[in-house]
Amino acid sequence: MAVEATTAGATPVRGWRPLTVLTSLYRRPASAAGTTIVLVFLLMALIGPVVAPYGVNEQIASEARQSPSPDHWFGTDHLGRDVFSRVLYGAREILVVAGLGTLIAVVVGSAIGLLSGYRGGTFDEALMRIFDSLLAIPALLLALLLLGLVGPARNAVMVVIVIVYTPIVARVARSAVLSAKSKGFVQAARMRGESQSWILFREILPSAFPALTVESALRFSYAIFLIAALGFLGIGVQPPNPNWGLMVAEARAHVFQTPWALWMPALAISVLVIGVNLTADGLRRILRAPGE
Amino acid sequence: MTMSILRSIRGSVRVGVLAAVVSIVLVACASAARDPEGGIRVAMQPMAQTDPAFISSDSEILFANHVYDYLVDINPQNQIVPRLASEWSVSDDGLEYTFTLAANVNFHDNSPLVPEDVVWTFDRLRDENIDSPTVDLYNNISSIEAVGENQVRITLDAPNPFFLFDLSDNHALILKAGTQDPSTQFNGTGPFKVESYSPEDRIVLVANEDYFIDGVPKLAGMEIVFFNEDTAMADALRGGQIDLMLRMSTAQFESLAEVPGIETYDIPTNGFDLIRLRSDRAPGNDPRVIQAFKLATDREEIFELVQQGYGAVGRDSPIGPLYADYYSEAEGIPARDVEAARILLSEAGYEDGLEMDLHTPDTGGRPDLGAVLKEQWREAGIDVNVIVEPESVYYGEDGWLEVDLGITGWGSRPIPQFYLDVMLKCDAIWNESHFCDQEFDGLADVAGSTLDEAERTAAYQDIQRILIERGPVIIPYYFAQFAAIQEGFEGFELKAFAGRTDLSQVSLSQ
Repeated sequence: MAVEATTAGATPVRGWRPLTVLTSLYRRPASAAGTTIVLVFLLMALIGPVVAPYGVNEQIASEARQSPSPDHWFGTDHLGRDVFSRVLYGAREILVVAGLGTLIAVVVGSAIGLLSGYRGGTFDEALMRIFDSLLAIPALLLALLLLGLVGPARNAVMVVIVIVYTPIVARVARSAVLSAKSKGFVQAARMRGESQSWILFREILPSAFPALTVESALRFSYAIFLIAALGFLGIGVQPPNPNWGLMVAEARAHVFQTPWALWMPALAISVLVIGVNLTADGLRRILRAPGE
Repeated sequence: MTMSILRSIRGSVRVGVLAAVVSIVLVACASAARDPEGGIRVAMQPMAQTDPAFISSDSEILFANHVYDYLVDINPQNQIVPRLASEWSVSDDGLEYTFTLAANVNFHDNSPLVPEDVVWTFDRLRDENIDSPTVDLYNNISSIEAVGENQVRITLDAPNPFFLFDLSDNHALILKAGTQDPSTQFNGTGPFKVESYSPEDRIVLVANEDYFIDGVPKLAGMEIVFFNEDTAMADALRGGQIDLMLRMSTAQFESLAEVPGIETYDIPTNGFDLIRLRSDRAPGNDPRVIQAFKLATDREEIFELVQQGYGAVGRDSPIGPLYADYYSEAEGIPARDVEAARILLSEAGYEDGLEMDLHTPDTGGRPDLGAVLKEQWREAGIDVNVIVEPESVYYGEDGWLEVDLGITGWGSRPIPQFYLDVMLKCDAIWNESHFCDQEFDGLADVAGSTLDEAERTAAYQDIQRILIERGPVIIPYYFAQFAAIQEGFEGFELKAFAGRTDLSQVSLSQ
């Protein structure tokens, strides 16, 4: 999503491209590590199922409950499934659901936040109070309630992420609009007689972009947590889905026999979340407007 | 200033180290000692019911089974043995049972056991106003009367070859006639007396010195300590805070098997997980589909993976090896044949495979069973979505009787007839597979009514053949029952129904 600040004049936003951002991220060890982790996991999600040595649910009864070995890097679980392969498959599972869910939440939330903040008035007031009431409920609780209503399905989890995170993103977008609304470049565009959508999406959105990018990265990491937590609670995904949270839950009963089947997916969750958070942190530093 | 802070930090470190040492010593002492009173401490789920007419969980039955006595008992080999009734006779037509009560039996309030107590107890269990789960069980009884000083006669409406098993139903513990509130009075004849009961915490029992069997109980007391969680029980056993743990998951059992100082027991039961396909509508109403499911299933592999080889491999019938003579391996189970299953499916019109939802409760090994089945059946072109539900949802609003494909856990019973009558006959109340087969029903009726043991055995064996051939059910394994006990006890014998285990015969080894 290469968006450039195309507005002429007194825009305070630095122009940025993905590649520039990436090289900047690699200037600091912490964000470099985070970015590397995220890239590795993205690669896993992309090619994992192709390179996985065993099928996601392939059960080899004779090799059940084996500790990590050259044949089974992460060992096998109580049903004779290769834990390494399942973690690889699980990467795609969790990144796709968390990624798509976050993306939709960010797009929808930004649009609502921009519009609401720009228009102001009763519309803004009403919408924000509704969002406030949604935000008052903890994300996990809200997710449990919603999934209880629609029943278990992968898409339902994604919808839940969208519903849970849209208000948060909208809030962030709205506050960016409120601060940009009075700035000179917006006033200038208004004077030029630009349309409302031009002002919103070509003037204000680029200035809100850094904040939204950081917010997206944070939402993404929370989404990973949420999906894993829901999987652990057995809500939203059903066995034998390789959801990491579900894998941890399944392995819990067998922790004395096959501890690796619990540790490996748990480790994957923590490492990925840490990676995403470090990246988000790095992004925040890079994209911070000068003087802010 | 800095120094004093440092010093106080150092001081608290010292206190902390001391506390750690003390607690390690305490833990070490705890794990070294058995119950100092010479009793046994048993870990169990908390009890909800204490009135014998309404008990149902293992912990409730374990408690009641030691405070009260049955008229007749069932031993670990699944045979009827005397308890309060020292002997009995049955009339030739199978309708009249006369029981002679053991001598010198006293209730814990020192009143002697008289035949009227037995009559009162069974009248209570049959009373529709009390509404115990036993009302239906005993509706075949036409009368119960006291005969003379020490006999009870029970007359039936129709012969029931399993009547003695029914008499030893979990609820049929003999109470003192006229007991006002059996849920708090605990006035039994059993080998142990209630000393104190703290709900959610523990119930403490002491030996009944006047028990009518000499030398029993062999322990000074028994304490049932309540735990809500399996893992906590196992930890308490490891740490020596309890002596005995009954019933646990296979994984838990495996983890305890390696602990020094703990002995583990496992016995096969007749409890099983039933995989059943509704056979009164598509796709299950096509015998070829039923066959395809059976051919696509590898029971041995399921037994190894889900039960880790404990218990016994199933043969699609509820008549398991526990029932010794009734059980038959005459009919071979068709070997797994994925190709044959595929062909049958395509003949039945499912050339492109069959997609179904597989419903299962979230308890025990059932989610694992679902995952293994999904993989095995996939190879034969049966694609199932495993839907794991909390038990309350699975059984709620009779959903489990409605779904097309489901996994249901069935507990172990002392007689096989129970399963046929409530699960498989056309009009059975829990006929979840909606199976209806005239030949089967005829055989089940014969087995349930004949007084000729050979005829019953033959009927049960035919039933096993029919279920392997065409029953819309797969029973891949029978569960094992597990127990783990601290070293230093003798005479422990586990029963398939854990709560019925008799601890009055357990003693401290010398």
